[in-house]
Amino acid sequence: MMVKVKNLVKRYKELIALDHFSMEVEEGEILGLLGPNGCGKTTAINCILSLLNFDKGEIEILGKTMTPNSYDIKKQIGIVPQEVSIFENLTVEENTDYFCGLYIEDKSTRKKYVKEAIDFVGLNDYKKFLPKKLSGGLKRRLNIACGIAHKPRLIFLDEPTVAVDAQSRNFILDGIKRLNKEGSTIIYTTHYLEEAEQLCNRIIIMDKGKNLVSGTNEELKAMITTTEKIVVGFGNNIENIIEKLKSLPHVIDIEKKEDNYVIKFENGLNNLTNLIDLIKENNLIYTKLYSQLPTLNDVFLELTGKELRD
Amino acid sequence: MGNIFRNILYQGRNSYRDKSFIFWILLYPIIMAIFFYTAFSGIMDIDFKNIEVGIEEENSIRTVFESIDILNVNITPEKDSIDKLNKGDIEGFIDKNLNLSVKKSGINQTIIKEILDQIRQMGELNVPFEKFDFETNYVIDRNQRANSIIILFYSLIGMVSIYGVFPGIEIATTIQANLSNVAKRMNISPLRKGEFLFSGVIISLLLNIASNILLLLFITYVLKIKLLFDIGPSALLILVGNLFGITFGILLGVSNKLKLNAKIILSIAITLVLSFFSGMMNPEIKVMIDKSFPIIGKINPISIITNNLYRINLLGNTSGLDTGIYTLIGWIAVLNLISYGFLRRKTYDSI
Repeated sequence: MMVKVKNLVKRYKELIALDHFSMEVEEGEILGLLGPNGCGKTTAINCILSLLNFDKGEIEILGKTMTPNSYDIKKQIGIVPQEVSIFENLTVEENTDYFCGLYIEDKSTRKKYVKEAIDFVGLNDYKKFLPKKLSGGLKRRLNIACGIAHKPRLIFLDEPTVAVDAQSRNFILDGIKRLNKEGSTIIYTTHYLEEAEQLCNRIIIMDKGKNLVSGTNEELKAMITTTEKIVVGFGNNIENIIEKLKSLPHVIDIEKKEDNYVIKFENGLNNLTNLIDLIKENNLIYTKLYSQLPTLNDVFLELTGKELRD
Repeated sequence: MGNIFRNILYQGRNSYRDKSFIFWILLYPIIMAIFFYTAFSGIMDIDFKNIEVGIEEENSIRTVFESIDILNVNITPEKDSIDKLNKGDIEGFIDKNLNLSVKKSGINQTIIKEILDQIRQMGELNVPFEKFDFETNYVIDRNQRANSIIILFYSLIGMVSIYGVFPGIEIATTIQANLSNVAKRMNISPLRKGEFLFSGVIISLLLNIASNILLLLFITYVLKIKLLFDIGPSALLILVGNLFGITFGILLGVSNKLKLNAKIILSIAITLVLSFFSGMMNPEIKVMIDKSFPIIGKINPISIITNNLYRINLLGNTSGLDTGIYTLIGWIAVLNLISYGFLRRKTYDSI
């Protein structure tokens, strides 16, 4: 077991930031901590890494209790903080070398690792640049290089793609997959459900400091009643057939979103065919019609009654 | 050891590439020196040649005073002294108990007081007055020194020697996890805080002393004002002043959650106030403080440095150096103790 957190409680005066939060991470996993902003993801990581005091709970990393003086454990951890945490007056290469040097003393090994880390994040052309000359996305890549250069066994990535352009974002996500393939266990916090779906072997959905559910992408989606959503836009008024739509087999809810209707189904087959038949029977004109599988947002919505992005 | 060296190297690079650091540590003192030189030279010349001192005929130290070239001794009965002081005929009167009366504060009055203090001290140590060559010790190269602008420069040196406060703040901000993002990352790493602090103090000392030397070279060779005649004790004083500055900066850095710029502005304000009390804006202030609130002069680190640099180099008197150094070391110890209370924390309630 790489990380074991049991019943972690963290209070900020009246506010409960972590409410008996528990999680376990196996070696080789990419675990996603998914939840809206302020749900306690970063607090959980800061507690696990012994930066924050906590009121109750137990934390073990690599089988040992984690404390601020657990230097042997810290040597095997890499962190990519949410905020870009680098020295503004050191170049890309110097920053990477400095942070790598906190873990790796041997100069030739460090030189090799620094080069690999800079190549890994695609900053080879910028290695002599000061951070102020880099774009936001490139700074984020440097932030990652500084956290992974020493080849840690366990890497915490705290929302590494926030405020990053699409190109850098894909680059970062691909890089994380490569790190995992090379043997690192990853704990990845995000509020972007697409990232969690795309990247993580297992996901913990958090809200209000609690671990709501955990499982693989498929397991989580199987926990909810919605199995299919059909989005349909109509070219004419359909007020008089809403009840007919609701009476279609397996329909559990109809929601109007802007000009479209989102019809949710549970189980059952041929939902799309049934809907098309109804449209034909009533001579309705449709402007769009497509079927969607449920997303993690639907899981979150069903568990909490609110959207992940609220 | 390798880690300490690497920390020194990178902390040094990070500092000397920082434009605000370069400005405050290197350029600002030079700008101040140029400002003092252009603003005050010529208007603040005070002629030390004939300092009029009133003294009773039967006073035991009369002959000693008469032997000092820069003093004009006026035989004055005590009952006439106030009248003569009021008229400005004499600038100070020494009674039979070796108390000094003055009508106003000024450089000449300070000179008389310094000489009188020295005589008192020799009396307490039972050293015959004849053994002390006041002329030689007090007035070497008078043409150079007989210019009160020098006191402003000593005060400026005093101020910049505690400019280690800036790198001190930087060290604290970089290692305290609740103060910066970099510090969070540092605290998650296996780096030992003590190692980082030690490296930080060393590099801050090196950079600040280098800036002090640069300023002294500028004043000596560009402005043509020689300040340091007795290098050893002066260097010791400046070194301890630097250590004080760094320690003070670390405390300013760790003790609150103000933004870095706010801390720098606060430290500039504090050093300016301390410099003001030590006479940097006007030497009369220093004399007034020494007379009315002597405790301020004794505990104000910049005053300690300024007064001692002035005594050591202008008056050739090292008698207060030990006390000054011990006071500064006392300050360093107290500040370190308080900082330790903050620095020993490794986990936080909030960050």
